[in-house]
Amino acid sequence: MMTPEPAHGAIGLDPQACTSCMLCVRECPTWCIELGSHTEEVSDPGARRPRTVNVLDSFAIDYGLCMYCGICIEVCPFDALAWSPDAADPTADPGGLVLGIDQLRGWFATPSDS
Amino acid sequence: MTAVGAGAPPGPGAAIPEVPASAWEQALRELSEAGFDCLDFLTAVDRGHCRQVIARIRRSADWQAAMVSTQVAAAAPVLASATGVFPGASWHERETAEMFGIEFEGLADSRPLLLRAQPAKPPLLRGEFLPARVARPWPGAAEPEVGADGRRAGNPSRRRQRPLGVPDEPAQGRP
Repeated sequence: MMTPEPAHGAIGLDPQACTSCMLCVRECPTWCIELGSHTEEVSDPGARRPRTVNVLDSFAIDYGLCMYCGICIEVCPFDALAWSPDAADPTADPGGLVLGIDQLRGWFATPSDS
Repeated sequence: MTAVGAGAPPGPGAAIPEVPASAWEQALRELSEAGFDCLDFLTAVDRGHCRQVIARIRRSADWQAAMVSTQVAAAAPVLASATGVFPGASWHERETAEMFGIEFEGLADSRPLLLRAQPAKPPLLRGEFLPARVARPWPGAAEPEVGADGRRAGNPSRRRQRPLGVPDEPAQGRP
């Protein structure tokens, strides 16, 4: 479903840019974002000790709760979230509005102008 | 009436013209007579000491919008109904009565609109906690899980994050 651009139809995620910092989850007024992550140690050549990095496991937006305020997009320091002109499809039950990384990644590939 | 901005559409952050509560119905009537014949929206904001009621009215001829607001005391939130001027205000006033506890004098239809059961206190007042905020765990409390080596990432002494607007003791938030 397309709306005229620039449109705030849905929010897309770039999982590669996300650092699991949790800022979007904590700023969301409707508590509609759930993020799961774990840490891994990365050894850099020449470094004295390994670095600890967050690895994103899951990211879901409940479009039954989202009010499209865009605060998550504003607060993301890594531009991992962006508006998409697409919109979440209607579903037969509220659980179907919880959309995970696969759906959100597709929306990030088709961003709005603003 | 000069108090009502009937010119350019009010943009975000623009001050909304205010009239005394006693002049509310008259202000709406004057707007209606000036061609603003379509009630767009009516709602309220809890300002603590008072509750602000806001109406947005459009002129169907050119779709220009005007806004007007008034204040009612939090202790006695009573306001004349706008349904005498705009019958469509009934829907908005039923919602505003339910959510902000404002009594609209002259509102013929006082049936509940959105809530299945009227809570003890109107749910959109700032002093009220939403039951869902107490019943549901805050997703922001999650931290990256324990790593494969069994060590927990980050500084374990870091203060635990709290959601904004939710009491420390969840029991306080129960209605």
